[in-house]
Amino acid sequence: MSASTALLPEYIVVVAVLVTMIAAMIRRPGGTVASWVALIGILGALWATIDLWTMHIHPAVFFNQSLTVDNYSLFVNVLVLIAASSTLLLGWTGEREHEEFPILVLIAALGMMSLGMVGNLIALFLGIEVLSLPLYVLSASHRTVLGGEAGLKYLLLGAFSSGILLFGLALVYGATGTMNFVDFASSVNVHSPLLAAGLMLTLVGLLFKLGIVPFHMWVPDVYEGSPMPVTNFMAFGTKVGAAVILLRLLAYGFYMSPQDWGPALGYLALLTMIVGNLLALPQNDLKRLFGYSGIGHAGFLLIGVAVHSVVGAKAMLFYLLPYGLAVIGAFAILTMMGTDKETVTISDLAGMARQKPWAAALFIVFMFSFAGIPLTGGFVGKLYLLQAALFAHQPGLAIGLVLGTFLGLGAYLRPLQAMFRTRQGESNMAGWNVNWSHVVVLVVAVVGTVGLGVYPTPVVHWVSQSANFFWLH
Amino acid sequence: MVGIVILAILAISASVGVVTARQPVHSALYLVGNILSLALLYLMLKAEFLAAAQVIVYAGAIMVLFLFVVTLLTAGKEERELPEDLPGQRIVAGILSVIVGGVFVALAIKYPGPTLKAPLPSHFGDLTGIGRLLWGPDFIYLVAIAIMLVSAALGVLVLNPPRKRRQQEAEAREQRAESKASPETTRKEREGTGS
Repeated sequence: MSASTALLPEYIVVVAVLVTMIAAMIRRPGGTVASWVALIGILGALWATIDLWTMHIHPAVFFNQSLTVDNYSLFVNVLVLIAASSTLLLGWTGEREHEEFPILVLIAALGMMSLGMVGNLIALFLGIEVLSLPLYVLSASHRTVLGGEAGLKYLLLGAFSSGILLFGLALVYGATGTMNFVDFASSVNVHSPLLAAGLMLTLVGLLFKLGIVPFHMWVPDVYEGSPMPVTNFMAFGTKVGAAVILLRLLAYGFYMSPQDWGPALGYLALLTMIVGNLLALPQNDLKRLFGYSGIGHAGFLLIGVAVHSVVGAKAMLFYLLPYGLAVIGAFAILTMMGTDKETVTISDLAGMARQKPWAAALFIVFMFSFAGIPLTGGFVGKLYLLQAALFAHQPGLAIGLVLGTFLGLGAYLRPLQAMFRTRQGESNMAGWNVNWSHVVVLVVAVVGTVGLGVYPTPVVHWVSQSANFFWLH
Repeated sequence: MVGIVILAILAISASVGVVTARQPVHSALYLVGNILSLALLYLMLKAEFLAAAQVIVYAGAIMVLFLFVVTLLTAGKEERELPEDLPGQRIVAGILSVIVGGVFVALAIKYPGPTLKAPLPSHFGDLTGIGRLLWGPDFIYLVAIAIMLVSAALGVLVLNPPRKRRQQEAEAREQRAESKASPETTRKEREGTGS
């Protein structure tokens, strides 16, 4: 299979970036041509991905093993493209989204897609940077005080973590003498402490992007200050990118020495699940709440990596989908509520159940999926993670998962309770703004969330196909 | 080996100077020292092109830009530092980083990586070799960096838009504020007449 066939989704996105730039240049002020072009590009890449999937390809490596196309990378493509299209659709009507908005979203999506398929250290670093750089810009794109703070904080801390990551990669290269993940395991130095130190620094850089405690400090501030669609993108897309590269790096390069990294990741997962959900409890700002809940969910995802088994890989890959669908649904409702406002607080939700019953019902579905209530996708995802933890004889992780879920339930029930409160005085649903693009996102999100909860079989099948790479060492 | 150690010590002490210097100009000059010692390190590793590029691009172009910005922005300003929220955090951070760095150095000395036994490929480190790599097997990295630079250029546009667009945005915001305000006022008026 040639590179142009296997990498067609990425090529389409690259072409879409260029065409969107031209479209943004020649468009009328206020027009949506650039967004349309970007959306068509994303849908084209999605089509190409699904087409590749149906061809039942064998894993293929390109460009000196720097990119691997297999079912895993294709599944990641689908997740990232869902995140990118939802971001575009949520930012469709925002007058303050600039014409550069779709281009930057596409570039960040390209970085996330490449993270699903990287096979060597250079590609890893470049993927992380291609993902991060547009997001630094996007998070500050509203030029408000909070937005500036978010952008600067994200840039500085992100640059710092990139430095640590680069140092780690250099040490790994120094210890093994090779850049390719698959060659690490066969290197003579597989148990060298220098390699362990390099791996530790590399993991710190990647866990920062994932938002794992204790590298989580930036998450709530950046989520709070960023524009709503961008927060949605960071909560879904960045988590997908960071989680899948973590799994790929460890499962390809370090499967011979899981005792070096497995326990550390396990303890961090435990800490993150508890701390993230605990800190989500007292939040009044919904974006901050989703920020902390995103930290908690990153902890759940990390279980799948830490247990180092094919069951764990499957569970993590599956969990990304219901989590992401709930994220885009919840952010669609927040965007509809406050297109002009920077953020939505819990007290803004008061009276929503009476005035906007449909939106309130959908919001409840998404919150239930976050919390892991049965008949939503989140429940099935948590079930698989629990199974993975128990199969790996890690009862501590299982207990942490349950505890974190309970704490999270409390955090997610607070906004729901506020929705049923009657509001004194003037209604705040005046700024309610519904566009077809929001409706599309909402429909996809709710169908996906409930569908995954009721009939997850097909997705489970796809996930086990894409986690197959585990056996191909 | 001795040369590498000397250059490494030079580079590290220069970068410590970058962080600790009070005056931005001093920081910039320390950075020049750091860049030059790195360039010499590249030379010792037989990467001549990288060394030349390091000197020309970083020390030549980027540092000049830095110095311009520094002189424009901070000329004649004596800035006092703000008091810190956590007193003593710098000292603690310094001690910790020295310990971590010491551990890494000890690890690297005690457990060195595999030594390269193969001879260097032809044209290693010179312009031809770099060009063949970048436009051959490593072309994909060049593309990735190109896309990254596109997003950086766009970032400048987003964060620092031309004045014309800024005006347009301000007008649009005012219009929206007016259209928002009008229904509310009419409703208030109606309430007023009703009571």
